[in-house]
Amino acid sequence: MDCPTCEAMVDAYLDGELSASDSAAFERALEACPDCRKRLEAGRAMSGLLRELPLEPAPDLLRARVERELRAIAGRPIARTRERLRWSAMAASLIVALGIGWLGGNVVGTGVGSDELVSTYLRVAGSEHAVDVASSDRHTVKPWFAGRIDYAPPVLDLTSDGFPLEGGRLDVVGGRKVSVLVYRRNQHKVALSLWPSLGGNSAAKVTQRDGFALAEWRHAGFEMHAVSDLAPAEMAAFAAALDRAIDADR
Amino acid sequence: MSETPKPDGATVERFRAVMLPHLDAAYGFARWLTRDPVVAQDVAQEAMLRALRYFHAFRGDEAKPWLLRIVRNTWTDMRAKSGAGDRPLEEIEDRAADGPDPEQSALASDQRRHVVAALAALPAEAREILVLREIEDCSYKHIAAVLDLPIGTVMSRLARAREKLAAELRGRLGRRDHGLPDM
Repeated sequence: MDCPTCEAMVDAYLDGELSASDSAAFERALEACPDCRKRLEAGRAMSGLLRELPLEPAPDLLRARVERELRAIAGRPIARTRERLRWSAMAASLIVALGIGWLGGNVVGTGVGSDELVSTYLRVAGSEHAVDVASSDRHTVKPWFAGRIDYAPPVLDLTSDGFPLEGGRLDVVGGRKVSVLVYRRNQHKVALSLWPSLGGNSAAKVTQRDGFALAEWRHAGFEMHAVSDLAPAEMAAFAAALDRAIDADR
Repeated sequence: MSETPKPDGATVERFRAVMLPHLDAAYGFARWLTRDPVVAQDVAQEAMLRALRYFHAFRGDEAKPWLLRIVRNTWTDMRAKSGAGDRPLEEIEDRAADGPDPEQSALASDQRRHVVAALAALPAEAREILVLREIEDCSYKHIAAVLDLPIGTVMSRLARAREKLAAELRGRLGRRDHGLPDM
């Protein structure tokens, strides 16, 4: 085999595209051809570098979005129990975002403002820059809000309850700048925001919308709005853990 | 196109079984095409929806190349519609090393960052074919299906892409670090 032929076969050989007999012929020819051996080694090295790159799997948020579309197209009504089972089955892919917006102290009914809150959640879950201040230390996160918003949200790490604090960011809800805290549940993002409220404490009301769980409640003079793709029970657990932590901190 | 039958529940179930396993590949390919993790999600989602819409035309060939071809067309269309070009490279290189690598040595991750940056810096034509071959592990036949090219063109384009990447890598890594001799 002369060298130009041999050279033309290097890539196909590397890529496993030669027949067994062509491969064998190529290997024999290679022995007499140092240039092609060099070329082969170079190709192998470069291929190895590319194949060592870590694969980036589809983010859970993307998977959830596709699932939601598929369910909608299949025209199956989203049965509540079925939905609940699905989210439980997705225990490995929990994302929680709690949006707490500044809405004048009124309890926001489901549907009112929930688009904005879901958007807040999507910004947190769908972005690499989920937080403006990244820290698990409340003493770093809390001061960050000073001078950026006109109230001081309670910032608490919930690691012992399985929701470690990741950081905080600002968002706009109802035309007002509000604080959003981002937590994690297992490998996934959890975001929480809160704003002051005049009313007394109320129990967390968890509802579902478009495959997301929304929770709203008041506690310790703050109005809380939460959006997540957690199971409703997980969402309730998050709300309870937050309330406990706030009470313990006072 | 208006004649496209609306997918029913059974079609969606079949689609779920056949195409959904390739969502990772769709996203991974979109990630390299767009060089942007957020846009890549939009492209992959839109591509999945298109794939479902045209699923009746899927003849049970290889699912992955079929889906990746739709990903590529989706990206082409989205780019044409928005009139947007590629993002400026400086922005990409800043983020090119993103990814899970806690247990890797600093040296390995440093080298990998250069490899990622070199690949990201290639023109789209070279980048996509290298990603299909080396990262998505497609055969020539599958690459031909994704890019809608004859096999001969796949081979020559792949060879050119490899030369370009080797040149980029030589510039970034220096020859001794990765054993790539001059070609």
